[in-house]
Amino acid sequence: MSNYLDLSIKEIHSALLKGETTPLELTKEAIKRAKANKDNAFECLCEEKALLKAEELSKVKVPEDKIMFGIPYVAKDNFSTKGIETTGGSDILKGYIPLFNATVINLLEENGAILIGKATLDELAMGGTGTTGHKGITFNPYDKTHTRLIGGSSCGSAVAVSDAIVPFALGSDTGDSVRKPASNAGLVGYKPTWGQISRFGLFPFAPSLDHVAYFTRSVEDAALMFNVLSKHDENDSTSSFKTRLDDYSKLDGNLKGKKFVVLKEVYDSITDKVIKDKFDLLLNKIKEGGSTVDFVEFGKKLLMAIYPSYIVISSAEATSNNANLDGIKFGPFYKGNTYQDVMMQARTKGFSPLIKRRFVIGSYSLMSENQEEVFKRAQKVRHLIVDRAKELYKKYDSIICPASPSIAPLVKGASNQLNDTYLIADNWLAIGNFGGFPSITIPLGFEDDMPFGVNITSDAFKDFEVFNEAFAMENILGYRDLSVLNFKDKEGK
Amino acid sequence: MKKVSKEVLKDAANRLMFDMSDEQYNILLDEFDVITKQLELMGEIEGIDKEDVMTFPFNCEVDFLREDEAATALTQDEVLSNAGSIKDGQIKLPKVIG
Amino acid sequence: MNFEAVIGLEIHVEMKTKSKMFSAGPISFGATPNTNCVPMDLGMPGTMPRVNKQAVINAIRVSNALHMTIDHDLWFDRKNYFYTDLPKGYQITQQDRPIGSDGYLEIEVNGKTKRCEIERLHMEEDTCMQHHFSDYTLIDYNRAGIPLVEIVSCPVLRSGEEARKYVEKIRDIVTFANVSDGKMEEGSLRCDVNVSIRPYGTTKLGTKVEVKNLNSLQHIENAIDFEVKRQSELLLLGKPIQQETRRYDEAKKETILMRIKTDAVDYKYFTEPNICPIHLSDSFVDDAIKTCPELYDEKLARFLNEYKLNEVDAKILLSNVDYADYFDKGATFTGNFQNLANFFISNVLGYLNKNNIDIKNFKVESKHIAELVDLLKDKKINSSQGIEIFNKMVQTNESPIKLQKAMGATLIGDEETIRNLVDEVIKANPSIPADFKAGTTRVQGFVMGQIMKKTGGKIDPGVANKIIVEELKK
Repeated sequence: MSNYLDLSIKEIHSALLKGETTPLELTKEAIKRAKANKDNAFECLCEEKALLKAEELSKVKVPEDKIMFGIPYVAKDNFSTKGIETTGGSDILKGYIPLFNATVINLLEENGAILIGKATLDELAMGGTGTTGHKGITFNPYDKTHTRLIGGSSCGSAVAVSDAIVPFALGSDTGDSVRKPASNAGLVGYKPTWGQISRFGLFPFAPSLDHVAYFTRSVEDAALMFNVLSKHDENDSTSSFKTRLDDYSKLDGNLKGKKFVVLKEVYDSITDKVIKDKFDLLLNKIKEGGSTVDFVEFGKKLLMAIYPSYIVISSAEATSNNANLDGIKFGPFYKGNTYQDVMMQARTKGFSPLIKRRFVIGSYSLMSENQEEVFKRAQKVRHLIVDRAKELYKKYDSIICPASPSIAPLVKGASNQLNDTYLIADNWLAIGNFGGFPSITIPLGFEDDMPFGVNITSDAFKDFEVFNEAFAMENILGYRDLSVLNFKDKEGK
Repeated sequence: MKKVSKEVLKDAANRLMFDMSDEQYNILLDEFDVITKQLELMGEIEGIDKEDVMTFPFNCEVDFLREDEAATALTQDEVLSNAGSIKDGQIKLPKVIG
Repeated sequence: MNFEAVIGLEIHVEMKTKSKMFSAGPISFGATPNTNCVPMDLGMPGTMPRVNKQAVINAIRVSNALHMTIDHDLWFDRKNYFYTDLPKGYQITQQDRPIGSDGYLEIEVNGKTKRCEIERLHMEEDTCMQHHFSDYTLIDYNRAGIPLVEIVSCPVLRSGEEARKYVEKIRDIVTFANVSDGKMEEGSLRCDVNVSIRPYGTTKLGTKVEVKNLNSLQHIENAIDFEVKRQSELLLLGKPIQQETRRYDEAKKETILMRIKTDAVDYKYFTEPNICPIHLSDSFVDDAIKTCPELYDEKLARFLNEYKLNEVDAKILLSNVDYADYFDKGATFTGNFQNLANFFISNVLGYLNKNNIDIKNFKVESKHIAELVDLLKDKKINSSQGIEIFNKMVQTNESPIKLQKAMGATLIGDEETIRNLVDEVIKANPSIPADFKAGTTRVQGFVMGQIMKKTGGKIDPGVANKIIVEELKK
């Protein structure tokens, strides 16, 4: 059953301009679907506020230049929303009501978008399974039996878009937290160049790796969103002054002369035949389109070092970032005999075991007797990895690889414990965070009715080029506007 | 590098103002085994220790500083709106000694 | 055995900028608790630091005054620890790359100039205020985030006196550069002292004892002197010195143990990832230095050379930058600089001190003081009239010329008028010239008294004396 809500942002905007639908209609439908969703995607719904806004906007003329006007969306619950509870998926922030909006929330509001709810996430964005948030496991809407995860940490936002509740949702990406779930959920997941989109108001996990990122169902929509969100923000001292004047949605899909590189070790390590075959097919098609594809070794030791380096750096920054959570200024307060008592109770009761373990790892990494061998070494590894990527970017436009070695993982057998079994293909996306590189995942194919994606990562500040390359491939693959509602029709491709 | 024992981990956790269950400390010890091995792998990368550390994803140097102008302050009510223990317009804690 | 004291000072200076170091939270004194905060000051999740330009300019100016090397690239670090006055659970500071390094200042000790090396100067943010009651503590976040400079000396001071002079110099620099109020009693200048001793001639450092909570210059001197004595006595008795933190008890004039120093706290410093490094151009740094308000040494030189004041008076005027500014302003309205200085010191300061008024709240404009000084100098009024006018001025800040007219206060200094009056008196007392020549000097005073009576006291005595003598001699 088709509804205007199922269209792309561009198409919905067009329909609104023509008066074929209204913000109120769209919002009502989105809220209805949100309530019907059984995948545990929402921390909360802001029904009243959303309907009020939708009513207001339905009374005025739809501005042509505001592409998101009247369109409902969802934000991961680590974006500060004024007057709306924001918990970060953690009990330690139960009841916390921010006094300000994150900059991106303001930008979307100014553009007329309508926030209908806050999405679940791995606690404080520190996870990749979508199972550690205080509301429990978030499931993959492609599997109605709830045996599969959608991944994380932006699990709820991924559900909101793949389950066709809203056409776009805000997430955050520190290691792969939008781009991996995008693969698991057949979505476009975009992580921009570091500093292009303001992080003000986003709960920090690891600032040197954090990016505001988001889900859409088409590359063009992602580019349109980038137009709206990539603005210099004086509230964020890492916000880039380098802004391009391009209209990011002017995509031509021309691959002629483009040089792509596949990381050989990642490719070789993938054993899933369906994924490999689909990937090979794509490579042939883009070669037909006039581009070249080389297989080059990145360096196995470097690829193996991504994961520990990421764990050390992100845990270290995270442990510091979350030292403000003590139940005193915000979050549940526990009476005690001493201030230490008060803090210990709040933090012991408020944090889940996983992030406590990460905090300890982070703290250990920063201790003066360990810092040289642990934290600083991880930062040196980061440097080597980024240098190697930059070396490749001298010769190639973009890296292209499957976004994941498999379809969405099973709920059973998911563990949050660090373990030795290292999958090179599972972690290469973090290269995009280490170097702040623009990176996009788009749907590549299906296996057992579950989607999987391909990822394109390019050099810093090449956001436009990444959109263009992905647009071309989206055309080749034919999965534009994919969701649970229509995948059966598109799956066969 | 400080040798990792359960005591060391418990001390680290307590300094972070929280505690964990015994089971969790055991899991964490296992995780440290994994990390330590992986750190050793990192140590094997050629030239690693001569490399510079990297804090930011790329050279992001700026020349911008904020003008010294005061913004509108929050009201006292707003400041305290999320606090669980208040008295006389301030946050109240058990007596802080030392 | 004689011991040499080895003293190092850590001084924190609170800046009087309009907004905080890393946020635009306002700064004002005496504000109601928790009314000078923005979300960043409370460490709310998602808030981010923004470096204050004026704070950087201030840090550059102080670094320059201390002859330091100034780093043209600003990097910040996090100092991580948990405490109730630290909302973020870390303080943003400059551990690895302080903006100022390797400087010095000079003090005068026993008639000689001593150079005191300074290790570093960096910017950081202040903590909250805590108010302790019997069984609870209240927290006020107004102060959280106020810009601080921390100045760390090398351990080159050798006595309480040297330490006091060092701190005075720092205070002069930061007050004259308009960076801070520099008031120890108000907490805008804070000093922690590290004291150890060693036998003369040795180079190995003794055990360091930290003394905190010193809130006046004199306390610094007294605390150090006591501490050196205490440590010397211990060593002479063969007892070891413990690494401790002590506080100064002003009533007993002793340092008292606060706590034994355990292992140093590990602050897990790492680079602040939310502030991209800031490059300061040469012109920015040069400009900050060039536009720095005049510092103590330059002002003193100017007061001595341009105003030609005597050194004692000049130093009194410079004992407070606000006095100096008031004087400078007044000096634009008169050329009688020394007179202005004299009047200011005796009358203005006398009045302010007696009534416990800060010069910033002094009602009288410097222009009016200058005018009053001129009236006196030009002998248009005498000194008691001057005081009468001054006393009226402090109530109303009226112009002295207006007041003079209103009071009908004039001084007759006109020679001819005086001569006529003197001649009148001599005519009425014909014997006095002969008495004067015979050596009876009190006739001079008699004539003066008479002419004063005739005019109601409005004769300029200086002029009159000369004429009286002349006429009596005739």
